[in-house]
Amino acid sequence: MTMIVGYAPDERGKSAVHLAAMLARASGDDVVVCAVVPAPWQPGMARVDAEYQAYLDSVADRALDEARALVPDDIAATFLRHRARSAPAGLLEVAGEHAANLVVLGSSSAGVFGHVVLGSVSDRLLHSSPISVALAPRGFRCKDGSTVARVTAAYDGSAHADRLVVAAADIATRLAASLRIASFAVWSRVAYTSRLGTEPEDLVLQEWTATMGERLREVRQQVGSLAAPPRDVTTVIGHGESWAAAIDDVAWDDGDVLVVGSSPIGPLAQVFLGSRATKILRHSPVPVVLVPRGWAEELADQAG
Amino acid sequence: MASLVQQVFRRKPVTEMTTETGADTGKSELARSIGLFQLSMFGIGATIGTGIFIILTEAVPEAGPAVIWSFVIAGAVAGLTAICYAELASAVPVAGSSYSYAYATLGELPAMGVAACLLLEYGVSSAAVAVGWSQYLNQLLDNLLGVRIPLSLSQAPEQGGVFNLPAVILVAMCAFLLIRGASESAKINAVMVMIKIGVLVLFIVVGLQGWNSDNLADFAPFGFAGITSAAGIIFFSYIGLDAVSTAGEEVKNPRRTMPLAILIALVTVTTLYILVAVVAVAAQPAEQFEGQEAGLATILENVTGSTWPATTLAAGAVISIFSVTLVTLYGQTRILFAIGRDGMLPAVFHKVNPRTLTPVRNTIIVAAVVSLLAGLIPIDFLAEMTSIGTLVAFLVVSIGVMVLRQTHPELPRGFKVPLYPVLPLLSIAGCIWIIQGLDGITIAVFLAWVAVAIVWYFLYGRGHSHLGKHEHVGLPHD
Repeated sequence: MTMIVGYAPDERGKSAVHLAAMLARASGDDVVVCAVVPAPWQPGMARVDAEYQAYLDSVADRALDEARALVPDDIAATFLRHRARSAPAGLLEVAGEHAANLVVLGSSSAGVFGHVVLGSVSDRLLHSSPISVALAPRGFRCKDGSTVARVTAAYDGSAHADRLVVAAADIATRLAASLRIASFAVWSRVAYTSRLGTEPEDLVLQEWTATMGERLREVRQQVGSLAAPPRDVTTVIGHGESWAAAIDDVAWDDGDVLVVGSSPIGPLAQVFLGSRATKILRHSPVPVVLVPRGWAEELADQAG
Repeated sequence: MASLVQQVFRRKPVTEMTTETGADTGKSELARSIGLFQLSMFGIGATIGTGIFIILTEAVPEAGPAVIWSFVIAGAVAGLTAICYAELASAVPVAGSSYSYAYATLGELPAMGVAACLLLEYGVSSAAVAVGWSQYLNQLLDNLLGVRIPLSLSQAPEQGGVFNLPAVILVAMCAFLLIRGASESAKINAVMVMIKIGVLVLFIVVGLQGWNSDNLADFAPFGFAGITSAAGIIFFSYIGLDAVSTAGEEVKNPRRTMPLAILIALVTVTTLYILVAVVAVAAQPAEQFEGQEAGLATILENVTGSTWPATTLAAGAVISIFSVTLVTLYGQTRILFAIGRDGMLPAVFHKVNPRTLTPVRNTIIVAAVVSLLAGLIPIDFLAEMTSIGTLVAFLVVSIGVMVLRQTHPELPRGFKVPLYPVLPLLSIAGCIWIIQGLDGITIAVFLAWVAVAIVWYFLYGRGHSHLGKHEHVGLPHD
């Protein structure tokens, strides 16, 4: 298979290339690094557009040269420049031509380092791409030769999340990584004025934790009974008063990748970033892969 | 097989409770972050907002202007029990309020009885408060837009309506918030309390302009009996002082802070109430109170001859009563949750929705029942039922303090009742005194209701109790 890396000549591109290298090293996929430039307008008499176009092409080529220097030697990568009406559309066109199954992007430079931040291109893709989208946190770098060590699947206990976990297990197996199934309990203290004190909510939280623990055990068994289960499967529940704290609560390491599913309100064959996924993504300290619902189902069917 | 007596009086060990909820294991260790001011605000916030806006309409016809004394008596009794709550809460810091305290100190059957009382204290009181909200909403709409919700849709059948729709809508809105996972911070609470206090102060200042000593001439037309009877109803508006006690685990320096906060809240609330009552009965002849909708607002309207103070008051009441309905409904769901967790209610009550982290079905059931009550039953009956339920729950807590001193003298107590055993005994006497002043029919309905709970216990709870089956729930033992 192939993955497309959206490359722009700045630090965003760098983190995208690093992420692609890490993923490709694990999966053995081909990497296509792509710089999208605006498509030409109708040619005019003055050839102004053509000059501008030539300038854009040269910028893109320079960017690709930079990218060439960035890609580690052990990764087979091709570099191309593509003209399109918009960057997301261009990336999807290239993906279509190469039958790619993943688009890799960096974070917007408008956010903080170490977190995944959506920019205009990633935002558009995360709500409409027909293939999976991987996002690197801002400033993401991976060491030479490092690979995906663990795939974490975000799990909310719904039946559709079960399928996502199976799909993530399949991905983990292919990447020779271990699988971790993570749930997040985000709760905060409630009104004191109910005259019940502050403990009733803890009771509810414990009940939730127990139910969730049960569901996690079940889905873990489901993963264990696959034809080719990942080498190691663990489960974890992160507690916190905010999403940031809950996500921090489960430990993260180099070589971690977080897989989140698409919202069930989006179309089956496309990714659609749901409200919870957005929160998870915003606070994730590791690269995030968002997979389309249809694809996750397909993968789960094949694996099961 | 244990004998029946052993069975119905089996107590849930305090250690089991604290392990279950992680009180000592640090699993949900709470920071001691609440200071005296904040804690007093909890007490004041939890107390003001339920009764005072709507209760004069019920209480004045019983006692006449002497309702002022009814406020003092009700406040004193509420204060005594709040102090008893403080000790139990510091010794048995678990969820479920007096239900859990009774389970730990008196046994399973009494705990079920208390649960029946708490259903009145929370479930019925949220219905009562929602009905009061509907009256104020009507007043506000009338003042702002000149429209009123038709009588048939804003009153219970007994009062000439068909269904109290606004009350039902309020309950539905609160249930929706609770399902989504309502979390109000202490800061928002403090702001709300300020609004409530501000509104009452406005009433006092403006209402004072309408002072007419003639209205006080026939001070106690129904004598002492009338005063007691009114105190029973007014007690409803003092419920909430025990809120202070429930924060025992999170208070800095609880030995000093808890009793002080209770006293501060008690004095503040009683002062405000008495001033409101004095101003109200002086501004309006006693016989006009009966059957008045949104009483305080109407008084201001008559005093000033313009609608703006009444509009402000109505708006304040609409906001503050909304929050009260929300928290009482919340309390009801969490108490049922605790009972369901002990196995004495069907498992549906302690099922948590994995996505929202809230007991959704529990909330829907509670909201449906409360809606029916609010839609169909008039407020005065609801208010009296709430009073008696709370009084009995308080009674049990006062007894529980003494029982726990005998059975578990070694338990660490963050706060101890002063003048033991005089205060608990006084508290018990006060509760019984107010109870006997209530309507005979209220007591009869209440006894029938408790009987239903006991029948439920023998038919279902006794057999399904986790304690009886030696089943352990919650966090594992270490």
